[in-house]
Amino acid sequence: MTTLYWVQGGGCGGDTYSLLSSDFLDVNALFNTLDLELLWHPSISNISHTAHQKMLESIISEKIKLDILMVEGSIICGPAGTGMFDTKDGRAKKDLIHMLAHKAKFVIAVGTCASFGGFGTEHAIEATGLQFLRREKGGFLGNDFTAKSGMPVINLAGCPCHHDVIAGALMAIAGDTDLELDNFNRPLEWYSTMVHQGCTRNEYHEYRIEESDFGEMGCLFFHMGCAGPLVPGPCNKLLWNRHSSKPRAGVPCFGCTDPDFPRATPFFHTPNIEGIPLELPRGVNRAHYMVYKGMAAEAAPLRLKKRSSKV
Amino acid sequence: MPRVIKGITIPVNRAEGDLEIKIDMTDGVITDAWSSGTMYRGFETMMTGRGALDGLVITPRVCGICSLTHLSAAVNALDIISESTPPDNAIRLRNLSLMAETIQSDMRQSILMFMADFTNSQAYQHHFLFEEATKKYQPLKGTSVMDVVKKTRRLIEIIAIIGGQWPHTSFMVPGGVTSIPDTPKLMQCRLIVEQFRNWYESRVLGCSIERWQDISNLADLYEWLDEKPEHSKSDVGFFLRFAFKAGLDTFGTATENYISFGNLPFPAETTISEILKKSKTDLYDNHTPQSRSLISAGFAKGTTLFPLEPEKIREDISSSWFKPSSSAAHPFEGETIPYASGNSSQRYSWVKAPRYDNLPSETGPLAEMIIDGEPLFHDMIKNKGATTLTRQLARMVRPAKLLPAMTIWLNELMHRRNEPFYTSVKNIPDGQGAGMLQAARGALGHWVKTENQKIAQYQIITPTSWNASPRDSGTVRGPWETALIGTSVKSIENPVEAGHVIRSFDPCMVCAVHTLRKNSNNCNQQKNSFII
Repeated sequence: MTTLYWVQGGGCGGDTYSLLSSDFLDVNALFNTLDLELLWHPSISNISHTAHQKMLESIISEKIKLDILMVEGSIICGPAGTGMFDTKDGRAKKDLIHMLAHKAKFVIAVGTCASFGGFGTEHAIEATGLQFLRREKGGFLGNDFTAKSGMPVINLAGCPCHHDVIAGALMAIAGDTDLELDNFNRPLEWYSTMVHQGCTRNEYHEYRIEESDFGEMGCLFFHMGCAGPLVPGPCNKLLWNRHSSKPRAGVPCFGCTDPDFPRATPFFHTPNIEGIPLELPRGVNRAHYMVYKGMAAEAAPLRLKKRSSKV
Repeated sequence: MPRVIKGITIPVNRAEGDLEIKIDMTDGVITDAWSSGTMYRGFETMMTGRGALDGLVITPRVCGICSLTHLSAAVNALDIISESTPPDNAIRLRNLSLMAETIQSDMRQSILMFMADFTNSQAYQHHFLFEEATKKYQPLKGTSVMDVVKKTRRLIEIIAIIGGQWPHTSFMVPGGVTSIPDTPKLMQCRLIVEQFRNWYESRVLGCSIERWQDISNLADLYEWLDEKPEHSKSDVGFFLRFAFKAGLDTFGTATENYISFGNLPFPAETTISEILKKSKTDLYDNHTPQSRSLISAGFAKGTTLFPLEPEKIREDISSSWFKPSSSAAHPFEGETIPYASGNSSQRYSWVKAPRYDNLPSETGPLAEMIIDGEPLFHDMIKNKGATTLTRQLARMVRPAKLLPAMTIWLNELMHRRNEPFYTSVKNIPDGQGAGMLQAARGALGHWVKTENQKIAQYQIITPTSWNASPRDSGTVRGPWETALIGTSVKSIENPVEAGHVIRSFDPCMVCAVHTLRKNSNNCNQQKNSFII
C-alpha cells in the first residue's frame, strides 16, 4: 500500500480536474488498482476536521508513513514572508507544507504553480514553487532538499498538468520505476519532446503557411504567439481528454510547462523582427532556419496554401 | 442555563479552495456566523498593463472547475468593447462548451462533494439509508461516484473537441471562436450528449426528462418519488429520501433575494424556443428581445421577479481585508488593494461583499430556477423556504434543462457547418465592457477597461463572492452567514449540518478570493502596510 496526501496551496484546482479526466485508468480505478491509499484530498475526502487534524499529527510523528506528497498550487509566502495570505486554522499553510515535505518519501509538484510559482511570483502574495522560483533553483524548500527517497521535488509542469502525466507519475512511483528528470526536474518521459511534436498543423509549419488572424487554419507560431516549438510537453502526443489539443483547435500554445509561465509579453502575439519570430524553435541555427523557411514557403504546395484540408 | 459557545472555527473542505466559518452556538443551535475566505491570490491586478486579450488566458486560471465561464465573461467584455457580434455558430459552440462544463460541475459537486456527507458514519450511522449511502457515495469507491467520474469525463470531451482541452482553454476570442469541429467530430459530440442523457435519465433522475418536467409542485414531487422504484432509487430519489429524513428541508434558508445575470444567448436563427414552452411558466411568455437566452437575467425578492439593473451592483469592503474606501463602489470603479488591519472583529475575509440595490443576494441554480419561473421551485420556496434541500435539488436537476438544448444546437451546427464561426477583430479599441453571465455557481461578472491595446482595469465579481460575502457597512450578513443561523449541530467535532448548508451553495473559494495590485515599484511600501 502506498499512502498519498494531496495539499492545495495558491492554485485553482485545475490539476485535480485534469486528473479526473484520466482515461487509461479512471481516477477511481487508478487509486484502487495501484493500491494507493488517499489519506486526504481537499475536494474528495469526507473525514471530519478533527479526524483530519489527528491524521496530520500522526504523519508528523511518523505513526502514519507518508509515501507521496502531492502539492497543487504555489506556495504563498506573502505578505512579507509570513504566508498569511494563505492560512489553515489561522496558521500559514506554507508551514504545514514544509513539515509534510520533510516526512514524505516522494514530493510531487503538480502543475506549474507548484513547480515554479506560476501566477503571483512577482506580486505581494510572493508565490514560489516548491524547489524553483521560475528558472532559479531553490524555491520554497531550497536547493539541497531531497525527499526521503533521495529524489528532489518531481515537477509535473503544465497549467494544468496533463492528466496522463499525473497518472503516469503515480504509476511509476507505485510501481517502483525510476523517473529521469531534466534541468528543471521535469520527468523526461513527458518533457523531452516539444509541444509542437504531433500537432496536426505541422505541415503548415513545415511550409510556413501562417495564420495571421483567428480561424484561418495555418501555423500559429509565426504571428499568433504559439509556443509549441519552444517548450516541452506531451499535449499533441497524448492529446487532451482523448481528443485534441489547443493548437489543433486553433488556440496557440501558451507555453505553460515553462518555468517562466505566464510570460510577460502579450498572449496571441509572436514578438518578431520583420515577420521572423524573436524566439526560434528550440536549438535551431537562426541563419539556417531563415534560409530554410524562405525556401519552404516557396515550395509550399497549393493544397496547403488554399487550406484544402479541414485541419 | 443555556450552553453558549462562541467563536468556533469550522474549516469546510470539499469546497473548491479555502474556507473557514466561525460560529456562535447556544444549546447546539447556530446563533451567529462569519464566513471567511482564507486565501488571497490577486488575479485582477496581475492583469493591469498586460495585453488586451490576456484576460482570455489568465482569467480561466482563476478556477479549475469553472474555467470556461471565466473565459466567457472575459470574451463577452471584449465583444462589447470591440463592438463585435459573434456569428451564430460561435454562439452555439460557446454555449455547448459552457453547458458541458456546467453539467460536469453540477454532477461532480452533487455526488462527489455534497452526497459524500451522507457517508459520514459519526453523523449518520443510524440513518435508515446509511448503508446504501456508503455503497453509493463513499469517496473513490461508491458505485455512483465511479459512475459520475466516468460519465462526466466523457461529457467534457465535447469541450476538448470544440476548444482543444479542458480545463484551461482559450478558444473563445472577440468575434467568435478559433475553429469549428469537422462533421465527424460534431457527430461524436451528438452521440456523447445522447449517451450522457441516457445515463442521466436512467440513473440520476430515474425517469425521462419529460416526466421530470411534468413535476410542477411539491405534491407532484412526493407523488413522483413514490410512483416507481426507479424514481426512489435514482440519485435524485435517494437524495430526497435521505435529505427529508435528515431534515435538510428544515434549515439553510438564506437572505431570500436572488440574482441571475442570465446566460446561453440564442443564435439569431434557432429552433430552441420550441422546447422552452415546456419548462417555463407564463411568466416568461412575453420574451423581450433582450431575454432571448436559455437562462434569464433578473432579480427576485422571494418569488417576486424584477428585471436586472446592472448599475445597482456595488462591492462593499467594510469587512474585507482590503484598503478601506469611502463608500461601496461599482465594479468599474472598484479597487483591490489588500489591507490586513489585524482588527479581526471587523475585517475577517478575503472575499468582498457584493450587494444589489444594497441587498445581499443568493445566486446559483436555485436563483436561476426562481428567476426563470420554474413552478416546482416557486412552490417549494413558498411551502418550505429556500432550504438546503431545495438549493441542492435545483443543482441536481439543472442538467434536465440543458441537455435537450445541447442536442438542438448540435443538430443546427451539423446543418450549418460551413457558415462562419468568426468575424475578424484586428484590434481592441479603448473602451469598457462588462462580461456578465450565469456561471455554474451563479452570477459572474468581469468589468474590463482597455487603453492602448492594454488592460487598464479588471474587476471580477464571482458567484461565491455573492454567496460567501461577509457583512457590509450596515453589518448585514451575507447569504450563507444568514443560512447558517438556526441550524442545529449535533456534534461540534463533526459539524456535518453546517457543511450541508455551505455545500448546498457549491462554494468556489478559489474564485472568490481576489488579489493584489501589480505595482512592483513600491513593493516594500506595500509590505509595510500589512500588520498581521
